[in-house]
Amino acid sequence: MSLDDDIAAWAATVRLPDAEAAAIFQRIVGTPAPVPAVTPRLDPSWWRHFTADFTARMVSSTRPVRQAA
Amino acid sequence: MDREAEFRRLYEAHRGAVHAYFTGRTGDPQSAADLMQDVFLRVWQHLDKLADTPEDGQRAWVFTVARNLSVDAHRHQQTQAGAWQALTREPASAPQSASTAVIAAERVAVVGEAIRRLPEPQRVALTMAAAGGMTSAELAAALGVPAGTVRYRLSLARRAVAEALDRYDDPAEK
Repeated sequence: MSLDDDIAAWAATVRLPDAEAAAIFQRIVGTPAPVPAVTPRLDPSWWRHFTADFTARMVSSTRPVRQAA
Repeated sequence: MDREAEFRRLYEAHRGAVHAYFTGRTGDPQSAADLMQDVFLRVWQHLDKLADTPEDGQRAWVFTVARNLSVDAHRHQQTQAGAWQALTREPASAPQSASTAVIAAERVAVVGEAIRRLPEPQRVALTMAAAGGMTSAELAAALGVPAGTVRYRLSLARRAVAEALDRYDDPAEK
């Protein structure tokens, strides 16, 4: 008997039996899958709206006051 | 994505190696099974992320979790010696007229006892190679050490086991 055979014979005694592996698999897949957390998100167009609004306010607030006739 | 099918693929690909890893660390196949279950429960919980990861990355992720869990597993060290002894009882004297089955069982016990006495890095490497069926390259990736280091550990471990078997075969040379 070679050294590899002896080590393989020992390995067979500590290896997880297929039946036990299958039972563990079933226990795990029986647990509910995690529900992905819903993260509140901004509307993707928020920046465009924000800058457009900001620009409009800047333009209107810095416009020279029309002199009264 | 079929979660269960994807999980089954990962489970079948890595369960043997993960169980062997924990067996090498704890010396107890039953504790190793419990720890393996903890690892794959995390795989199941993070499957969505893992499914998009390349295969090497999946293995690395699995063994990172395993290594982290094995730190906790050291709490079981008090039971380690007993567990290994249960697995690998001391061999009796050399076979005289024993049956082939008894001799085979005794040789398994000699091998187990020799492995139990190995330094942990050698024991883990040999257990993963023998029981987990992993190559040196796979072991290196899983353990995060160079392949040359793995081969050296395996060589030392095999030599120690061979010497133990030589002593068993020829007790007069002890």
